[in-house]
Amino acid sequence: MIVVQNLKKKFGANEVLKDISTTIREKEVVCVIGPSGSGKSTFLRCLNLLEDVTSGTVVIGDVEVTSPKTNIDKLRENVGMVFQRFNLFPHLTVLQNIMLAPKFIKKLDKLANEKKAMELLAKVGLADKRDEYPDRLSGGQQQRVAIARALAMNPRVMLFDEPTSALDPEMVGEVLQVMKDLASEGITMIVVTHEMGFAREVADRVLFMDGGYIVEEGVPSEIFDHPKHERTQAFLSKVLK
Amino acid sequence: MPSTFQIIADALPVLFQGLLITLKIVVISLAIAFVIGLIAGLMSTASSKIVRGIAGLYVDIIRGTPLLVQVFFIYFGLPAFLDIRIGPEVAGIAAVSLNAGAYIAEVVRAGINSVDKGQVEAARSLGMSRYYTMRLIVLPQALRRMIPAFVNQFIISIKDTSLLSVIGIRELTQSGEIIISTNFRSFEIWGMVGVFYFVIIFALTRLSRLYERRLTAR
Repeated sequence: MIVVQNLKKKFGANEVLKDISTTIREKEVVCVIGPSGSGKSTFLRCLNLLEDVTSGTVVIGDVEVTSPKTNIDKLRENVGMVFQRFNLFPHLTVLQNIMLAPKFIKKLDKLANEKKAMELLAKVGLADKRDEYPDRLSGGQQQRVAIARALAMNPRVMLFDEPTSALDPEMVGEVLQVMKDLASEGITMIVVTHEMGFAREVADRVLFMDGGYIVEEGVPSEIFDHPKHERTQAFLSKVLK
Repeated sequence: MPSTFQIIADALPVLFQGLLITLKIVVISLAIAFVIGLIAGLMSTASSKIVRGIAGLYVDIIRGTPLLVQVFFIYFGLPAFLDIRIGPEVAGIAAVSLNAGAYIAEVVRAGINSVDKGQVEAARSLGMSRYYTMRLIVLPQALRRMIPAFVNQFIISIKDTSLLSVIGIRELTQSGEIIISTNFRSFEIWGMVGVFYFVIIFALTRLSRLYERRLTAR
């Protein structure tokens, strides 16, 4: 479903992604782990072109993302993204946050839009917060709303960029639970994360990135219990105590 | 010799008329300046270097020259060069609009830049176009933050219009001058002209403080 070939990304002279190739199947849940600065987030952001790609190709479904002819707005409707810092729209209520993109892009009528938004809010356990503004919510609640907002466009792929890194520890669980539920529904998910427990439990496959390369990939038990590459071993020995 | 009180009472109707013209010029000019400033401000955040350059040049020229010179240039210079006639009010409004527009452009640019980059990324990642992102996400947040700066510009422009007396517009300052040329009582009249400006601007400042407090309360 997602095919990445020889992806490279430079920021000025600094080459952050050196040569990334991988294939992600439909309904697969892939967790990307690795030390900070390894290029994990940049890799994720190249998939929906929030970063423009220096060279290489990304294909999602039958659309070549990296082709200049591609209507990138159209593609992004199918690729939801959840950010480390939530990025809810502070001038809109929870419900308005979720309904905004379907209203203006899909021209969904108000009734159907609101019904769908309320379903999503119920799903993330926040139906009672519909009329609150984001600054009245906790970090965990905001992130759950952000997930609901992304889902409102019915994406086929969801990208998560360290979704729990900005959260207080006691709120990490509620967000991971929502993501687990989502994974079991069979949506394609790519999750950049430091939550090794989540990766082990939920991922179909784990990518370990370091220095701009995918150093090692495999099913969680392989990566976590029998890492082959020494850099994977070194990283895991530091994060798994 | 008439009493101070009598002088002021006689002057009031003329001064009020002058005030009305001042306010008319300011309101029209700032409405135009807002549109100019919004466009130039948006241009200065564009990705195209040329578009940014045009906006930058406009702002630099206006900020780098005195308003009085701008007024003279538009009222005397341009008509002489183009061989046309421009009435003093039109010229005055044009000068104040162009002048305030440049400052508002800077306010708009700063306001847009103050919106967190993550907001744009979130909107774009949902499939929103640049236009929708600007209109639905960035501008509503930016404009709210710009309100104090707009009020500030409003106050500056009110005072700036007093310069338009030099091209014969009968706004508040010119009205004062006309009265003094007949009764020679500059103490009372300039005092009153000052009071008129002060009251209007003081009221505006208070209003904007009130509004700001309400804004931060939410």
